[in-house]
Amino acid sequence: MERVKTGVPGLDEMLWGGFLPQTANLIEGAPGTGKTTLGMQFIYHGIVACGEPGLILTFEEFPQQYYNNAASFGWDFRQMEREEKLRVVMTSPEVSRADLEQVGGQIEKLVQEIGAKRILVDSLSHFERLSEDAVHLRSIVYGFVNALKRESLTSVLTRENMALLGESERAEDAVAFLVDSYTLLRYVEIESAVRKAILVLKMRGSNHDKGIRQFEITSRGVEVRAPFEGREGIMSGSPRRMVDSFVEAFVRR
Amino acid sequence: MEEKELDLTGRLMADMNPQLLEFLQTKVNTFVKWDLVRFFHDNPHTTDTANNIARYAGRGVETIHVELAELARDGVLEKNQLGDMTVYSLAPDRHIRDLLEQFVKASDDRQFRVKAIYHIIRGTR
Repeated sequence: MERVKTGVPGLDEMLWGGFLPQTANLIEGAPGTGKTTLGMQFIYHGIVACGEPGLILTFEEFPQQYYNNAASFGWDFRQMEREEKLRVVMTSPEVSRADLEQVGGQIEKLVQEIGAKRILVDSLSHFERLSEDAVHLRSIVYGFVNALKRESLTSVLTRENMALLGESERAEDAVAFLVDSYTLLRYVEIESAVRKAILVLKMRGSNHDKGIRQFEITSRGVEVRAPFEGREGIMSGSPRRMVDSFVEAFVRR
Repeated sequence: MEEKELDLTGRLMADMNPQLLEFLQTKVNTFVKWDLVRFFHDNPHTTDTANNIARYAGRGVETIHVELAELARDGVLEKNQLGDMTVYSLAPDRHIRDLLEQFVKASDDRQFRVKAIYHIIRGTR
């Protein structure tokens, strides 16, 4: 089956080759875990390695911030904009939603103008201010996600999770049901050091790696490394060595 | 004597690209408009409401509302209706975009900024 490669070393293997085309893919994590970097890498890889122009919809950061962040990894987003392979659009959830609902809106025009195949929406969390009603919010996000698919875009949608370590609680997480894949980025504390973990929770229509892997943000972007071994409770934020759990469960009784 | 000095200052300050001087005197004639055109220059694909643009620009919506409408009236911005929202975006007019590009580039020069500030203050008197 055709795949849309993220270009993130290690992540494409976790996704069994990459995202499925024209799907909505949620990347969730605490501040600083690398959601935006991963999303920018997806866009960058599409442009330079796959000949797939991309759009970045930002609801908070100024385009300048993306140019600067991208430049720190050696990705020249400004040049890509000049070459009509990229558009960084600062807008708001309410305007982009209304824009996509109409025929011939600005986003649709931009997609056609550069032949965009990929989009990064940074971040979906901002939709939460459009409605406090979970059912209404689900309907809004559903419409938005479908509009992106209608435009034949494969999307990476970032979402903030305020839990720095450990499990977060989302009372009614409708978005997780609406997207095609759901990847979690987490901080974990191991021997007094904070590391980062990545887990693909869900991937509709495809198998995927169920393991929890370490990842780092290097000078080349996000790189996914080997799975955590000999530890359990990684997603709790404070993993324990399996041998300690074994001792506690059986030896100290 | 004072009038003579003012005249000399005026002539010195008018020593700039005539197109930019006209752009400044007829379109970007307040400091808020200067901020707004700079914002749209840096974010040429932005389409948004006055409320959100105010937030991005770090101003109150009541401060920028009239200025946005005037920039739209003068052809620098485009004003459209999106559902029940009024949204603003940079006008696609090539001539206006070129002028804006020149204006922003020129604004990096201190001498130009001094002159531009002079004309804006004179214009708002």
